[in-house]
Amino acid sequence: MAIINDMRKISDTVWELPTNYKDGMRVPARIIATEKLVREMDKAVYQQISNVATLPGITRYALCMPDGHSGYGFPIGGVAAMDVHEGGVISPGGIGFDINCGMRLVITNLTVDDVQPRLKEIVDLLFQRVPAGVGSHGFLKISRDEFREIVEQGARWCVEHDYGSDEDLEVTEENGCISGADAAKISDRAIDRGHNQVGTLGSGNHYLEVQIARPEDVRDKELAAKFGITIPNQIVIMFHCGSRGFGHQVATDYLQVFLKVMESKYGIKVLDRELACAPFESPEGRDYFAAMKCGLNMSFANRQVILHRIREVFSEVFGRSAEDLGMRMIYDVAHNTAKLEKHDIDGKERKLLVHRKGATRAFGPGHEEVAPRYRDIGQPVIIGGSMETGSYLLVGTSSGAETFFSTAHGSGRTMSRTKARKQWHGKQLQRDLEARGIYIRSNSWAGLAEEAGAAYKDIDEVIEATELAGISKPVARFTPIGNVKG
Amino acid sequence: MHIRTPITLITGPLGSGKTTLLRHILATKAAKIAIVMNEFGEIAIDTKVIDGKNVRIAELGGGCVCCSLLGEFEAAVKEIIEKIDPDIIVVETTGVAEPEALAFNIQEALPQCRTDGIVSVADADGLVRFPEIGHTTGLQFESADILLLNKIDLVDRHQIEPLETKLREINPTAAIVRTERCQIDPELLFGIGRERKVAPPEYKHQPEFESFTFSSDKTFSHDSFERFADGLPASVHRAKGFVLFPDGAQLFNFVAGRWDLEPFETDRTDLVFIGKEIAAQKPAILRALDACAHPDNK
Repeated sequence: MAIINDMRKISDTVWELPTNYKDGMRVPARIIATEKLVREMDKAVYQQISNVATLPGITRYALCMPDGHSGYGFPIGGVAAMDVHEGGVISPGGIGFDINCGMRLVITNLTVDDVQPRLKEIVDLLFQRVPAGVGSHGFLKISRDEFREIVEQGARWCVEHDYGSDEDLEVTEENGCISGADAAKISDRAIDRGHNQVGTLGSGNHYLEVQIARPEDVRDKELAAKFGITIPNQIVIMFHCGSRGFGHQVATDYLQVFLKVMESKYGIKVLDRELACAPFESPEGRDYFAAMKCGLNMSFANRQVILHRIREVFSEVFGRSAEDLGMRMIYDVAHNTAKLEKHDIDGKERKLLVHRKGATRAFGPGHEEVAPRYRDIGQPVIIGGSMETGSYLLVGTSSGAETFFSTAHGSGRTMSRTKARKQWHGKQLQRDLEARGIYIRSNSWAGLAEEAGAAYKDIDEVIEATELAGISKPVARFTPIGNVKG
Repeated sequence: MHIRTPITLITGPLGSGKTTLLRHILATKAAKIAIVMNEFGEIAIDTKVIDGKNVRIAELGGGCVCCSLLGEFEAAVKEIIEKIDPDIIVVETTGVAEPEALAFNIQEALPQCRTDGIVSVADADGLVRFPEIGHTTGLQFESADILLLNKIDLVDRHQIEPLETKLREINPTAAIVRTERCQIDPELLFGIGRERKVAPPEYKHQPEFESFTFSSDKTFSHDSFERFADGLPASVHRAKGFVLFPDGAQLFNFVAGRWDLEPFETDRTDLVFIGKEIAAQKPAILRALDACAHPDNK
């Protein structure tokens, strides 16, 4: 492939497009991946990551994680840190439409032997209680005014309304509520779209899985034990969802604002309109930052309510309380965000707006923003594979500074949704998976086909690349047995 | 025989003119149109709003409705057909949708509908200002049957042709039509559907487009007609109408080299051909059509 020839190999897991690759690049673009994964990436990733390198204020590198693939403007798997004191910009394309799409992981004290006989009952009930699909509504009746509170208070609102405990908040990124969210900065249309979607999975690649931690898949026993993964074939629950139509509307609203002012008011020229942006330190940039934080909080709240439903379902099926079933949340990570963080750049501390789109923050041990419970081992990282293959729990490492402490978020698509739909038939896929011991419920067979395992990169390879690159360290791998597909 | 409701998908990046196109269609197309907003759209809605289970329906002028999706797309379309029974459904997709996936959905999950076409709006000014075509935008252009190169009044005349070339590289088969404020003859965008109930539409010329019609009460041979359709010259962007075959009539729908036939109730052959400077080809096309008449015919 010709493209890889344009790249400089920095190490086995770092590939660089130098600044002379394209006019206007302010910094080199780097892909963190093994050679095999780099070769498998679609060509548009190189274009996109080098486009990102032209954005004002970008610091050190425009980065792409091992699971990268092309997305709206930025690649999914893109990481870009902008120096807000140097005219750094904020770009919705660098955060994604599904603001704070993220993962949550819950452990139980049940084993596969406890769960297997009642798996269908559990999955069917989860499918009922956690609504999935494009326009799904939650069971929570929330007024528009209450929704405004939720987007400012996040998961904290849920805990105050008995959907969870303070302990859940302690293990949620930002404690489930990012400060600075301002409901005055969001449109009525965004409220319209979001207010009845709290407690819903949504569609696309969003899912809720019942998984097993097989003893042979526990990579680091000591770390696993710290997370409470101690029983052979222990059952865990993992789910992936975001801010639904709300986040989408916020992103759309501000993309339109930015397209209007970017060039005329701020003189910023971008190569692709999907990179629409504004200086972080501008009224428009600040407004979007405050609105985007509402998306973050909506998503934390959404996952908190879903967690509550999962606990209800398990305690109903087993006739025991969630505490008794050991249903403790391990962590909640955000994938699609931009956060102001302090990073050490060449010995100097700088305040950077770190865009992570389809990338997970992965602070190493000792970092002040890691939940106290995990500060000595590093921030938990939850990486979901495709519904057929498996998922991982990892921890951040001290050696992750090169990627602004960011790592992969999933296995990454290898083909478009359209192509996947043409290749697989959802209903048949469901039967095949059931034959392999994975019970699936879905609203949309076509949507299921989009998520076929073979439409994704090999999750094990992605994880290996993050480990080789020193940006995260695997703790345990989980195998799905039940899946509610959004 | 039940006629499947045609669905037209409108795609294109944010700010390219999708809503303008919708307004224009509503103002110029004589048909009962249901517009489905895949997102909360921008068309001003100042009429009564009815909350359905899967759609929020607003009545527009001329018997048309505008629906905001609340539930699954498939459920919403079913509900619209049940409640409103439109002649045409137009779906405005988001600036970030993969339109082909939606078309595939229609094919798989909505047997009562057919995808009539995918219309993508490209914004000439944007294409000049942003030299690279984004990933999502690229997917939208790629899947289009008709590409409107809109806002040509905002760019220099000499810039237009290179833009067409650029679009042509992404999508070699679509008909590319230059527009200002999406002013396009709606006949170029839609199949015939149930229009035969109303008087044959008067064809207004798109500046560089020409059209002619063909009518006959003879029946046609399937094979000959299919060969004829395959052989239509590239200058024909659009052809549509009904064709009478020995085993019944079919609705013929031709867009930029791609065509299909589906059962339709009528007793005549009526076809219209639209294209760039096709007057010169008219005699040859009409001769070829005459030659398609079934041998058993009078």
